[in-house]
Amino acid sequence: MASNAKEIIARRAARELKDGQIINLGIGLPTLIANHVPSGVDVIIQTENGAIGVGPAPAPGCEDRDRANAGNQPITLNPGGSYFDSATSFAMIRGGHLDATFLGTLQVDEEGNIANWIVPGKMLAGMGGAMDLVTGAKVVHIVTEHCAKDGSPKLLKRCTYPLTGARECDVIITERALFRRYPDKGFVLEEVARGYTLADIAACTEMSYTVSDNVKLDAYGDEEES
Amino acid sequence: MPSNKVVSLAEAMSHIRSGMSIAIGGFIGQGDPLTLIDYLKTMDVSDLTIYENDGGYRDRGTVELVEQGKVKKLVASHVGTTPAIGKAVNEGRLEFEPVPQGTLAEMMRCGGAGIGGFLTPTGVGTVAAEGKQIITLNGRDYILVPSLRVDVALIRAHRGDTWGNLIYRGTSRNFSVPAAMCADYVIAEVENLYGIGELDPEEVHTPGIFVDAVVRANIGYCVVREEPIVTNGKV
Repeated sequence: MASNAKEIIARRAARELKDGQIINLGIGLPTLIANHVPSGVDVIIQTENGAIGVGPAPAPGCEDRDRANAGNQPITLNPGGSYFDSATSFAMIRGGHLDATFLGTLQVDEEGNIANWIVPGKMLAGMGGAMDLVTGAKVVHIVTEHCAKDGSPKLLKRCTYPLTGARECDVIITERALFRRYPDKGFVLEEVARGYTLADIAACTEMSYTVSDNVKLDAYGDEEES
Repeated sequence: MPSNKVVSLAEAMSHIRSGMSIAIGGFIGQGDPLTLIDYLKTMDVSDLTIYENDGGYRDRGTVELVEQGKVKKLVASHVGTTPAIGKAVNEGRLEFEPVPQGTLAEMMRCGGAGIGGFLTPTGVGTVAAEGKQIITLNGRDYILVPSLRVDVALIRAHRGDTWGNLIYRGTSRNFSVPAAMCADYVIAEVENLYGIGELDPEEVHTPGIFVDAVVRANIGYCVVREEPIVTNGKV
């Protein structure tokens, strides 16, 4: 069930991609987005440990320890790709040269604050490149299951964990709904996935949001087999 | 003729003393200088402060030095791939300062480039800004980050010559380039050692001016083993 939710999220997130975009995908769920890039859309993937033009995973037996992504998964490089050092990598990221980033999260709130690097006293991951990515990428997508494993909401009024970025989230994509943030309106509910109602979303979402006049119900399914 | 910086592992590492600050290249195993870290494990040193992107990968790398109690403080961006480090921090055995990855790379680069500090928008409104000065320029808030100078840097390269010109391979380049710039004494372990003039100058990533000592990487850790024609390195 959980992995199915991740696939649903990745598939919907991939439909946000536009031809020619340069993107960075976070570790875990966001990496799955690369498997669902719609046909006719060509994106260039940067990985912050030092490569751009990331291609498909190598065939079994062809892995190379010097060719991996930021999650240590083996990669290949597409023609035109290149390798670079970390200072150069973050010149790309911080310098506004990436069109979009997709990151997972522990919490996100109605002001667009993101918290995804520490649960104080319990889980210590560190922010890695996430703080730079949410600051520098032109569009910041949070891709996450709608609720935590214990069923509690992850889309909150106010993040309770230390922040990764303040007011940086532009789009939230879960297996149940898609919200987009506008400067004047805050988060707007634009799509509700098939199997859920507006009331279902309201019941599992703590952050306040408005419902778009053009909200799309029974969404997510129409281009499933593109 | 540029000087020959090839020395024994023991001689190079003898520059490390208790209480020193050390920058380490690598990225969760990619390009980690494991030959140097393994030697450090055998040394009687403590109270080290380490600046590195992470703590290694799983149970390998700087995490081993932490488990030995040699490390007083770790300044890193990500320790999620070394659970033992999170445990050491939560148990109060290790001081940990989280730094955004791009900020850490730039701290090293600037420290090596003679720049006292820099302004970054990364981390404004988060703990990364705590205790730091905020400067507003053209309407945007930036954190003033002091640059980094350390006593020693430990890095790894795919190819090196006897003067310390270095070429990395794939994504193993990462933090080795900025780490090599910010230290008083830079030790590079190289998988494949060449003589002067045998590396293509167009391909050098770290010019030898930044490097103080060159040692051979443990053959077991080499990703791609070449058969260099060392003509003037006494190895």
